Amino acid sequence: MKKKVLAVLLGGCMVAGLLAGCGGDNAATTGDDAATTEEGGESSGGGDYHFEVVVKSFQSTYWQAAIQGIDAAVEELGVTVNTTGPNAESDIADQVNMLNNAISQAPDGIALAANDQSAVLDSLQDALDAEIPVVCFDTGVPDAPEGSVIATIATDNEAAGAVAAENMYPVIKDAIANASGQVRIGEVNQDATSANISGRGMGFINKMKELIEADGKTVAVIGNQFYVDQVENNGDEGSADVIIEVAVPAQTTVELSATEASNIMNKEDTIAIFGSNQVTAEGVLTANSNLNVLAATPDEGIVGVGFDAGATLKAAVADGTLVGAVTQAPVDQGNLAIKALYDYCEGNEVSDIATDSYWYDASNMEEDTIAPNLYD
Amino acid sequence: MANKVSKTAGTNKSFIDRMGGQQFIVLILVIVMFIFFSAMSPGFRKYTTVVSILDYSYYIALMAIGVTFPLLTAGVDLSIGTGLVCYSLIGGLLVRQHGLPVAVGMLVTVLIGLIFGIINGCLVALMDLPPFLATLCTCMITRGFGAMVVGGYGIPWPAAAQEGGWFRSIFKINVGGQNIPIGFLWIILLVIVMSFVLNHTKMGRYTRAIGSNKEATRLSGVNVKFYHIMAYVICGLFAGLAAIAYSAIFATVQPGSGAGFELDAIGGAIVGGVSMSGAVGSIWGTLVGVFVICLLKTGLPFIGLTANWQQIITGLVLIAAVLFDILKRKKEAGK
Repeated sequence: MKKKVLAVLLGGCMVAGLLAGCGGDNAATTGDDAATTEEGGESSGGGDYHFEVVVKSFQSTYWQAAIQGIDAAVEELGVTVNTTGPNAESDIADQVNMLNNAISQAPDGIALAANDQSAVLDSLQDALDAEIPVVCFDTGVPDAPEGSVIATIATDNEAAGAVAAENMYPVIKDAIANASGQVRIGEVNQDATSANISGRGMGFINKMKELIEADGKTVAVIGNQFYVDQVENNGDEGSADVIIEVAVPAQTTVELSATEASNIMNKEDTIAIFGSNQVTAEGVLTANSNLNVLAATPDEGIVGVGFDAGATLKAAVADGTLVGAVTQAPVDQGNLAIKALYDYCEGNEVSDIATDSYWYDASNMEEDTIAPNLYD
Repeated sequence: MANKVSKTAGTNKSFIDRMGGQQFIVLILVIVMFIFFSAMSPGFRKYTTVVSILDYSYYIALMAIGVTFPLLTAGVDLSIGTGLVCYSLIGGLLVRQHGLPVAVGMLVTVLIGLIFGIINGCLVALMDLPPFLATLCTCMITRGFGAMVVGGYGIPWPAAAQEGGWFRSIFKINVGGQNIPIGFLWIILLVIVMSFVLNHTKMGRYTRAIGSNKEATRLSGVNVKFYHIMAYVICGLFAGLAAIAYSAIFATVQPGSGAGFELDAIGGAIVGGVSMSGAVGSIWGTLVGVFVICLLKTGLPFIGLTANWQQIITGLVLIAAVLFDILKRKKEAGK
């Protein structure tokens, strides 16, 4: 029964699609383009849109979660989707190639999670010229040619970093208030180049600074110059009550992140540490396997907070090694990206969506709003 | 060409040469670096940091011991880094998803390493592909293959406290709350064994001979193809062992990672005196060279040098090591 309703709806969509002439001349060529289609949607002829999706990296768990959301949308809407992505998020040129290939397939729409916000600009112009609508997800492209990107579906990274700070602060608040000398909060960041990711690091720093200063203490941010330069009214390292030390590993490997984390966690005055993505948070845990200093409160050791998920991080949050972590909504983002493209092709209004990030700890990991985003 | 293998025998050897040449200098360098970092950073002086350095050195050391053999044949194996991750992912998948005992997962991990070693060896020795190209291709293949088999998901091998976590104690045991890095003993043992293989067996002598002059070696009746393949098989085997070391030290193995690990291993071997043009080098030298790389990776963050400086300094050290090798050979040729 449900299927019939869906079929009728999809049939309606098809008619609407024909009337709207979605994708202009390009629409005619896409129907036959089965060779590139990985997941044949169970379309009953309705909708019949084909979308190309380019993710940041095909080989990471995070993106597998996004693809889950994409698959769900494919199932629901009866569209076809071909998903590609480079090996690593640093393979910028590869991704631009993939995007160009996607454009030359003349799909009804493209969902893009750009690895580099400036490298994709020319391609976006090409997409605009070819009248292919693009939805950016995970990462926005602020300088995209006018009209090329119809919607951006992304985590508010500054807000996500702030969520980590807001939840860490209550745990360490008393230790800061009662400290006899300087105390230190560490942050291991995965990157100091992309605006999107540095936004997350700065979100944490700014919120933490704000919270500490609101309680009448002074803060100095030290470490990686890229971050330090962005801090407004930075305090003096010698006299500040609290030091926020920012480290960025040479490459985002667990080992190098662990080394940076060890360095901070070895300092006597460190009371807390934040790993700003899955790899750096795992680096904090790897460092802890030898140091064994992570604890639930600053009195017992160092308070650890992570970001994203993965089996290792989830286990550490569940057993209390980390007091908690922040997760984004990759499943939602993938899903909403396809839905936005679909809506656009149907002639509906689409707009930007800022997806939420959630704090999770041992107590709420199983909840319905959290659990689906905690990929392994 | 053949004088590359000739032992610089005689009485006119310098003190440094008598102590093992470049190996000796590099060993001094390791000690100086250790003292320098210790003096500069209180965090570095801690026992736990030493344990961490050793932890992160095992997989590089194992890869480096293995890759010394292709290097000695004047070849190279670029597939060991991504290979390591691929083998570990597949072995881990069998343990995690299919419930096989950890020992079986480890065995499979090493076996796949061995198989890719055979593939590399055949491509280079039988089909005459340039080693750089052949192993670059298997590098890409292992990277894609590993990620494909696990479907893009990271694989956590059993944690120390979980069932099957015993394998982590191969490298590190906990006695009374203190971590003892016993993995180092295994590395030393393997270095002794492979030094013996390199210096006192046909396998080792022919490996050097191939690197020195392949055609002359063939004409003297040696089954060059077999020994040439074997150099890559040894390398593959050690990449498999490195995969186990990596799985045992780090919590999760991420598909798509591993590219660049091989450069740490090859860099270590070269710093330790292995010549890219073949024949010259030793396993002990490789081990010492690996510690230069590991100390740079661990020590530089501790003295507050940021990521960019770490890469610049590591690059400079490699240039110095290669220059040293070139100068030494020029000097020998001039004798």
